[in-house]
Amino acid sequence: MGADPVAAVTGDRPVGVAIVDDHPVVVEGVRAWLATEPRLTVLATGDDPDAVLRAAPGADVILLDLRLHGRMALDKLAELSAAGRRVVVYSEHTDPQTMLAALDAGAVAFLAKHEGREHCVETVLAAASDRPFVPPALAGAMVGDPRPDRPMLSDKEREALLLWFQSMSKASVARRMQISEHTVKQYVDRARIKYTRAGRPAATKAALLARAIEDGLVRPEEIGIYRSQATHDRPTP
Amino acid sequence: MSADLNAPAHPTDAPETPNRTSVPTPREPDSPAALAAPAAVAHASDRGARIAAVAIALAWHVAIALPAVLSARAEFAAPTVVLGAWILVAVTGAVAGVRLLRGSPLPPWPLAGLLLVVDAAVFAAAGERQLFTAANWVWGTLGWFFVLAVWGRRVVGLIALLSTHALIALVAVLGHGPDPADVARYVMYVYGTFSLPVAVFVGSTVIVGLARERAAVSAAGHAIAAERDAAERGLRERRDRLALVSSAAGRVLGDLAAGQADPDDPEVQRLCMLAAARLRRLIAESDDVPDPLLHELRAAADVAERNGLPIDLVTIGTPPPLPVEVRRRLADPLTSTLADARGWARLTVVSGPDEVVVSLVTPDREGPESTGPPPGEHDDGPVQYLYERDGNIRWAQTRWRR
Repeated sequence: MGADPVAAVTGDRPVGVAIVDDHPVVVEGVRAWLATEPRLTVLATGDDPDAVLRAAPGADVILLDLRLHGRMALDKLAELSAAGRRVVVYSEHTDPQTMLAALDAGAVAFLAKHEGREHCVETVLAAASDRPFVPPALAGAMVGDPRPDRPMLSDKEREALLLWFQSMSKASVARRMQISEHTVKQYVDRARIKYTRAGRPAATKAALLARAIEDGLVRPEEIGIYRSQATHDRPTP
Repeated sequence: MSADLNAPAHPTDAPETPNRTSVPTPREPDSPAALAAPAAVAHASDRGARIAAVAIALAWHVAIALPAVLSARAEFAAPTVVLGAWILVAVTGAVAGVRLLRGSPLPPWPLAGLLLVVDAAVFAAAGERQLFTAANWVWGTLGWFFVLAVWGRRVVGLIALLSTHALIALVAVLGHGPDPADVARYVMYVYGTFSLPVAVFVGSTVIVGLARERAAVSAAGHAIAAERDAAERGLRERRDRLALVSSAAGRVLGDLAAGQADPDDPEVQRLCMLAAARLRRLIAESDDVPDPLLHELRAAADVAERNGLPIDLVTIGTPPPLPVEVRRRLADPLTSTLADARGWARLTVVSGPDEVVVSLVTPDREGPESTGPPPGEHDDGPVQYLYERDGNIRWAQTRWRR
């Protein structure tokens, strides 16, 4: 991984973010969070995904509230992801099924609204470079995934997800597992990459996978069926 | 999923609820299940009697009547009628026997009518010389087929059939000229044909009735024993829980009452909070709720929250049914740590069909260790307990694996 992975994606310009939420106060709050990070700039906000994207067609990352005007926007999420839009879903609905459904639909990441500024900035920056970021709530959903066709995680990956979910501190997880923090992050991210195989194919999933292979996080042969897709859909740096 | 601590049922609203989850419901004595057992015993007993009756009738008909009929066939008034009647009764009797054993007997009264017609025909066709010999086979055999025909009905039907049979025989005897010796023989024969079939018929009915009664008595006895066991178990569990409650709160309450403990002392406050959390959890334990473990953890979290500790309770998955002992081992060590917590706490439960992991994370601070087991790893039966503090967080984890 390079010194500044985000710069590798966007060049020198900051990452453009579009915020879609039907609560103006939340929009303002998230805008304030993101404003503290110079590498991020908010290009457009609003409560209609299409209108926001018309206003900011070049947005690198879309922060999408999953519940818009009283209904779950999973279809819209799938449509945007299929078109290659990097969508970070953030929602107060943090039941595991909803989080896993969002991943299946192609969301790059899922952020619980209560997870705070730090995770929000970190998630958006990771998403802009097609890299996974797994906040603790999502780690819990993955480790407790009851679906029979869930991705097969290794024991270490499961344990890292579980401890990250419990403690919300990678340093503590590293101490508990007697490995480095970097390795903890690798286990968690590898688990996330395995989830690119779940649900329908999406350009964003392929991009995540391609970047993971490029970073040496996973080997192409570990992923099997997605290999060919990854080579086609590799994003241009 | 943030902690929804006030939503669950308040266990304090229903104190002293008996532990409905672990005490088996006593069997209702007159439930269908309790009635089925005696009926099955009676059925088995009745089946044995049926087999005996069918075997006697057919064996008598074949082994005793047939040789006599064959050896005396030249001396009958109408040999064809006697032999044909024998064959007819053999076939009908075999069919009736098989149907009776299969539980679908032939209609009794048509069958009885056929047998009486055969009776009259054979008496007429036997002739005077064969009237009282074994060759007149209806004397010995027919009574047993009457038994098969009216099996399971009241004995009056059988007696009526045998009386008709005796009447037919009387007509035949008197028809050949009233001879006092023949009348005496007739009485003896009638007595012989009545006594054995009636005895077998009545005997089997009595045995079946007795078997049914004994089985019912024994089933009722079992039900009472089960009820007593359940009551004793409930009492034992209540005593155990009382002992736990006493050990949880007894000492600190006693010290406070005796003036030996100062309510302003932080250590005393900590012990009170621990006791409150344990009491709350023990009360929650006896509630009948779908997810007892989560319910008990919520109860403990509720106490912590009332004491001003912001606590996040996140659950993933549904725990499988766990024995109360395992639930205690999962929850108790964390309750102790929770009583010590300052600042905030994060309580998480991740459940799968074969594994339940409960974890409590609180900020680390100077001060004594919690009252739980010492730091490190401990295996308590199927539950593993892990506690550590790293200067940043205090982390307690219990893990049950199937």
